[in-house]
Amino acid sequence: MIELQHVTKIYPTSPRPALDDVSMQIDKGEFVFLIGSSGSGKSTFLRMLLKEENPTTGVIKVNDKNLGTMSKWQVPKLRRTMGCVFQDFRLLRNKTVAENVAFALEVINKPSRTIKRVVPEVLEMVGLDGKENRLPGELSGGEQQRVAIARAFVNRPLVLLADEPTGNLDPETSQDIMLLLERINRTGTTVVMATHDYHIVDSMRRRVIELNDGILSRDQSRGVYGLGR
Amino acid sequence: MRVNFVLSEVAAGLRRNLTMTVAMILTTGISLGLMGTGLLIANMIGDMREIYYDKIQVSIYLADGITDPQRDSIAAQLDSSPEVKDYVYESKADAYQRFTQQFQEQPALIANTPEDALPESFRVELVNPQRYPVIAEQFPNGQNGVDEVRDEGDFLDRLFSLLNGARNGTIAVALVQALAALLLISNTIQLAAFNRRNETNIMRLVGASRWYTQLPFILEAALAGLIGALLAIGGLVLTKVLFVDKTLAGPIKAGIIPPVDWSAIIAISPVIAAAGVGLAAVAAYVTLRLYVRL
Repeated sequence: MIELQHVTKIYPTSPRPALDDVSMQIDKGEFVFLIGSSGSGKSTFLRMLLKEENPTTGVIKVNDKNLGTMSKWQVPKLRRTMGCVFQDFRLLRNKTVAENVAFALEVINKPSRTIKRVVPEVLEMVGLDGKENRLPGELSGGEQQRVAIARAFVNRPLVLLADEPTGNLDPETSQDIMLLLERINRTGTTVVMATHDYHIVDSMRRRVIELNDGILSRDQSRGVYGLGR
Repeated sequence: MRVNFVLSEVAAGLRRNLTMTVAMILTTGISLGLMGTGLLIANMIGDMREIYYDKIQVSIYLADGITDPQRDSIAAQLDSSPEVKDYVYESKADAYQRFTQQFQEQPALIANTPEDALPESFRVELVNPQRYPVIAEQFPNGQNGVDEVRDEGDFLDRLFSLLNGARNGTIAVALVQALAALLLISNTIQLAAFNRRNETNIMRLVGASRWYTQLPFILEAALAGLIGALLAIGGLVLTKVLFVDKTLAGPIKAGIIPPVDWSAIIAISPVIAAAGVGLAAVAAYVTLRLYVRL
């Protein structure tokens, strides 16, 4: 599903590589935690999977497609197979819950019949039925993140990338969000989640990939956040 | 393509940047208006060349005391000259009549001009207008009843160089104004892209095509260009109705200046509209390619 072969990323402004000779493979349907301190290369990793950035050297394959040889015109197609969730939700403030979710389908030209059908379905799945017409400003942080997850999932992506999705939420709400991500994972969607939240990592016991100054320092199935914590 | 979605984005964009949009439309309009004026002047120059150059090239003004044999001799020389294509004789009465016709809007001038004040003349058309000096040599000023030989082409050349200058000046100002309009469009689009960065970021992440993301911005600029072009065309129509047709009515009626026809304005309107829409859209597209990450 996702494969990195000797991937190195060097930013011209920094003497140290953001990612240093990283190789790994993530299979379809896996749930992977990506951990490491700030600046360890987690965000760079996620951005390269989306082809927002290209590696300096090495090969990245997503869904058996080599991102390095992919033309500019194919990038939107790649991104349609991936959903993204962020710490800061990134909702459109002037659109309602339902409009925010529908937006993701409208801009990739889905027929309005389909949109009318799938948006209520996915809102129900994330537990927001009845709040379709609220604006993001009227929702709690946890609810806003549910809208963001609904938007990321509504097109049934193969991969869901989450960049510290619980970073702005209290522990209880974080737990709810994790249950939701698990549920999405059970539908067969691969989930890659960058996080600092060791409670979550320790309690879920999923595969853990740790980056340390850009180097892959640990890849452990059913891992915990850190030894001795 | 979801037309509604794109159009609502365009409308929202134009509303959000209202002051910039107005500035963009006005500069584009002024630039296109000047361009249209330049084109109309160019048209007019063409028409005037036809009016004037066809009619006269050299005038041989006759002295007041000319005798009949002298006049006949001049006519005979013109008849036999290989340089002369055609000529007409204009008597004092003919000249006065043409004068009253030309200046019918200024009765005071006509009233103060005695009927015999204007000289009789031969109006000569040359095979080659450049050969004026040959005729001037053949009929020396002040001899054999000739008062003065005048190269009307010389006067016309000065007139036309003035008009050409006016045309070039107008087009030059139009170009400078067009540059300002393009920079303004570029800025407005950058601002619009910045204002809508949340939307475009999400569009990029969910895999909207580049076209889908860019089209609202390009249409926004094109629409502003179109409105600017309509303003410019409106300006030309007003200029014709309020200035050309009123202030210049006399000279136009007298045939000194050709009229600005509606057909001329209709003919250049599509050019102005296409230039407005095309330049704005291209400016927006280039701006998005160069400065904005979509």
